[in-house]
Amino acid sequence: MMKELLIIEDDLEMQGFYKDMLRGEPFTVTVASNAEEGIKKAKEKQFNLVILDILMEGMTGDRIFALLRKDARYKAVPIIMASALDEKSYRCFQALGNVSFLEKPFNKERLLGEIAKRFETTK
Amino acid sequence: MLINKKEIILKINSIIFSSLDIRDVYETMSRELLKVIDFDRLTVTLITENNNLYETFVLSKDYEHTALQEGVLYPMEGSLMKRVVQFREPVIVEDTSLGRFQTDKVLYAEGIRSRFGYPLSYKGRVTGSVNFGSKRKDYYTKKHISFFSMIAPQLAMAIENTRLFNKTREAEKKYRSIIENSPDIIFEYTKDGTFPLISPSVERITGYSVEYFYNHKNCGTSLCHPDDRERVQNEVLCVLDGHVDSLMDLECRVIHKQGHIKWLSIEVLPLKEEGKIIGIEGFCRDITERKRLDELKNNLIRDVTHELKTPTAKIEMAIDMFERALSSGNKSLLEKGSQIPEILRNNLYRLKNATKNILDISRLESGIEPLKLTDISIHDIIKHIAGEKKESAGKKKIALIEQLPPDVPPIKADSDKIKHLVNHLIDNAIKFTDEGKITLAVKILPQAVEITVEDTGRGLDKDAQECVFEKFYKENPSAEGSGIGLAICKHIVQMHKGKIWVESEGRGKGSRFKFTLPIAEERKEQGTNQVIRLKAEG
Ligand SMILES: Nc1ncnc2c1ncn2[C@@H]1O[C@H](COP(=O)(O)OP(=O)(O)O)[C@@H](O)[C@H]1O
Repeated sequence: MMKELLIIEDDLEMQGFYKDMLRGEPFTVTVASNAEEGIKKAKEKQFNLVILDILMEGMTGDRIFALLRKDARYKAVPIIMASALDEKSYRCFQALGNVSFLEKPFNKERLLGEIAKRFETTK
Repeated sequence: MLINKKEIILKINSIIFSSLDIRDVYETMSRELLKVIDFDRLTVTLITENNNLYETFVLSKDYEHTALQEGVLYPMEGSLMKRVVQFREPVIVEDTSLGRFQTDKVLYAEGIRSRFGYPLSYKGRVTGSVNFGSKRKDYYTKKHISFFSMIAPQLAMAIENTRLFNKTREAEKKYRSIIENSPDIIFEYTKDGTFPLISPSVERITGYSVEYFYNHKNCGTSLCHPDDRERVQNEVLCVLDGHVDSLMDLECRVIHKQGHIKWLSIEVLPLKEEGKIIGIEGFCRDITERKRLDELKNNLIRDVTHELKTPTAKIEMAIDMFERALSSGNKSLLEKGSQIPEILRNNLYRLKNATKNILDISRLESGIEPLKLTDISIHDIIKHIAGEKKESAGKKKIALIEQLPPDVPPIKADSDKIKHLVNHLIDNAIKFTDEGKITLAVKILPQAVEITVEDTGRGLDKDAQECVFEKFYKENPSAEGSGIGLAICKHIVQMHKGKIWVESEGRGKGSRFKFTLPIAEERKEQGTNQVIRLKAEG
């Protein structure tokens, strides 16, 4: 069965990059354009991995993260946080569990590599 | 007679030590002395430390006329003092009219015919002299000298004591005023956890009174923030144990009586008694404001970096996308109507805009750019800009309405800056409004004109109303724009000594951005085209 990916990202251009990079890869990609939509979609279906933009309208990544982790089905699901800033800029995230960091810009190889790594370690 | 003299000597000696005020001593002593040594004038002089000047230390007040003055320094050269000091023995001048010493001339002129000076020495050094003067010629003899020699050592000691006492008292006074007025907390802290000394500024900084510190053992530790306590204790212990000589800029948090946090920077030295370390002394500076600014600065840097990195990242990713399309032969991305050029253009624009705004605000904040003040017509400026904005408002089907009274008085202002300001407010109104209208209004107040840009757009809640004028504030962190625009507007208004604010009934209920500009007063001096540098207030 194909892995289900949820991407929560409110920047339309960024959404375009994700779709382009993941086209033809063995994943089903679902995109949510804001936090509420992302949480709603995550409830409707069990995803295997979530990519989360940190700075979004309405809710910051760490809050969405906390909400997802509260849901029993997402306790152990790997999450990738994406941002134009580097990991050091977000001291609070170092305390969160089972999360990795993806700094923008990234290319296709880096994105696929990160996804593979998360699946690898959570197996 | 001899008994009488001895009694007097005893009496004088006890007088000498009865008071630390040398004037008291002098007055009573001279009264007693007069009983045994006749004189018309009695002075005490002291030598300055480098031995070439002397000072008339005390002088009885009731001389009718004298050139001598208390507290004035006279040269040693040619004086009787010099001889007294040099030979460490008393000198008698039988007749001042002979002019043996230069000072004799002065004294002679004032009616003193004979005199003698007696050295005052303390710890082996001649510190000054006591001088008797008589209107009678040839008055003083060895008898007087030998009599006075019985008083001189005590007198010398008493004078020295007073001198030292006055010095310390002065130093102490200075020291106390430093402590009492210091903005920093000056303290002494002993190993048993008490504060023998703490300056009043502690109350301003921590909320606790000086008495509280005197009465509460270990309150230093308990006021320290729990997260900093151990570190501070360890550092202080190093000083107490003599492992380090001092602590510089030891930063820590204390909890104010009202519960909030204050940042202190502490400098510490060991407090010693007889060579043993018994505690610490030093001062604490309130650096809360500095810490707040540091944090603000760090956040600003983070926000600017984000604002610059996001478009840069997307440009890089668009190029990567383009190259992959090339090598994989993905036609749709390369053909006409592809999103790639659009992405590149958008983000370059965003980058350009952000850099321009950052430059603008730093130029404004540094104050290097003077205002070019001329008489401007707010009416014309708004009319003109409204004309330009008709198109972009029309595209969103938003009506632009002007409510401009015809007789708006001229304003003394920088035309370019005011245009920029109005332009930005209207741009924002269009940007954050999806339907309805934008109203541009001018109201004439007694001292100022008030300009309003009102929209029926998304509005602002209370929190947002407070923040919109801050640099880099964006309600939606991922929204386009650097969040500097309104900070620039605020700066411009303040440079013109006006006010800017926003009103909104809440989210979804539209906003009213308003600012005032003072009406140009009739200037006393002529000339309108002056370049004036006004520093923004607040
Ligand atoms: N007319 C308005 N209605 C609602 N929100 C506004 C309005 N004008 C400004 N804001 C809010 O203030 C923020 C900062 O605006 P501004 O300082 O002008 O930023 P920028 O320089 O990016 O245009 C905007 O991102 C928006 O959230």
